[in-house]
Amino acid sequence: MKYACLLGRTIREAFVKEYGTCSMSIYALLTQFGDRYLSALFTTYKLTAAAFALAVVIGVAVTVMRIAPVKPLRMAAEFYVQVFRNIPGAALLIFLVYALPYLDIVLSYYVCVLTAITLIPSAFCSEYLMAGMNTIDPGQIEAARSLGMTFAQLVRNVVLPQAVRSSVLQMTNLLVATMLTTALASQVPLNPTDLTGIVSYINTHAVGGVTAFLISAVLYCVTAVVIGQVGSLIDRKVRVLR
Amino acid sequence: MAQEQKRADAARQVPVIELRHIDKYFGSLHVLKDVNLSVQRGEVVVIIGPSGSGKSTLCRTINRLETIDAGEIIIDGAVMPEEGKMLAKLRSEIGMVFQSFNLFEHKSILDNVTIAPRDVLRVPRKEAQEEAMRLLERVGVADQAHKVPAQLSGGQKQRVAIARSLAMHPKAILFDEPTSALDPEMIGEVLDVMTELAGEGMTMVIVTHEMNFARRVADRVIFMDGGSILEENTPQEFFSAPRSQRARDFLNSLGDRER
Repeated sequence: MKYACLLGRTIREAFVKEYGTCSMSIYALLTQFGDRYLSALFTTYKLTAAAFALAVVIGVAVTVMRIAPVKPLRMAAEFYVQVFRNIPGAALLIFLVYALPYLDIVLSYYVCVLTAITLIPSAFCSEYLMAGMNTIDPGQIEAARSLGMTFAQLVRNVVLPQAVRSSVLQMTNLLVATMLTTALASQVPLNPTDLTGIVSYINTHAVGGVTAFLISAVLYCVTAVVIGQVGSLIDRKVRVLR
Repeated sequence: MAQEQKRADAARQVPVIELRHIDKYFGSLHVLKDVNLSVQRGEVVVIIGPSGSGKSTLCRTINRLETIDAGEIIIDGAVMPEEGKMLAKLRSEIGMVFQSFNLFEHKSILDNVTIAPRDVLRVPRKEAQEEAMRLLERVGVADQAHKVPAQLSGGQKQRVAIARSLAMHPKAILFDEPTSALDPEMIGEVLDVMTELAGEGMTMVIVTHEMNFARRVADRVIFMDGGSILEENTPQEFFSAPRSQRARDFLNSLGDRER
């Protein structure tokens, strides 16, 4: 922490020496780059929504595979989760951008980013759903079985609905985490850029400094707080009474 | 006329539930030892015995909630396979009521009763709901239909569980200690429903510790100990003059209260 402060001060002093000021004011930034901030915010939201939706779909599918009565399916799904839960997002993005072309697979930057920020949350989504399943009394599974339900019917009627309901708060966190992971998009050229990328853009075209970051940070924070509130509301509504 | 009678007799000869030479181990523990049991249509069989005697395991084995190591389970003439669609189908023909109710916690009482008929038997929603309401009425919890299980008392939950079983029109219902998790004042309401069912000719296999109830409703009492069926008898004979020494010891250990 001490060193971070020191570093911050050094950078600030360097800026002041070079330009006479450390950065533009918030007002100046907003008047000059307001539109760009808005479209960056929109890009971040778009990426977040697309990645989260895809992650949930994949997460549910992987989770069903992980409890399937077929061993190879279970093993494949387990492997998937282990890989994408444990790989750093930046590493995955680098792999998609630089390694795939060697296999003659060239994806657009947008698709690369979206893939990276979908695969990783999908593994976490599955982990949260598995945890949610552990809250289900095995007796309910037996009851469903004794009523003649097949595996698919059991999953659809009993297991998934309860797993989803009891993991709303984790899913809320996952949505926030997914949004923060979209910052990876700043590492590739995108137009319009995302909320982190906009800062690099501003700082290469003007002297936004830390203030440019601050605006992005506030936008991230406000969104996260809103997501968190909505998440708790939903959780209170759908939580399974026991 | 005579021929029809004969055919009816023949139909009666096929047991609803038949267990042949069932063996089961929990690790090295031999929990079911060459158990044979057949339950005729309309029969009420009560299984009693000390704890650890294998009676619950036997009950759960009938619809293969427990795996078995040897033997055959035959439901109304059809061999129950280890897994697959046929297993699910045969299970749907045998109802089960558990000690801990096992209602679906996230569904309303009404949905608890309709879900299996709708999804397994493909009964249309409206029809399933009407039938469910009739059944809930019959077990006396129709006024709770739109609550969730957590809002009901144990006795009410168990009556819902019975209605849920009945909604599948089962050929028989298994009861695995249905009153053991209930407060004493709620046992009666559940036993009343069961007595009524027995009176209507439902085929039932009941594991219970309620001896008075057993004496009243059983057509046949099965006494188990150490994983074997030691005695099969009429309730009158069993409770007044048990044949085996262990059954005598068991009944004596219950004391005067139960007898």
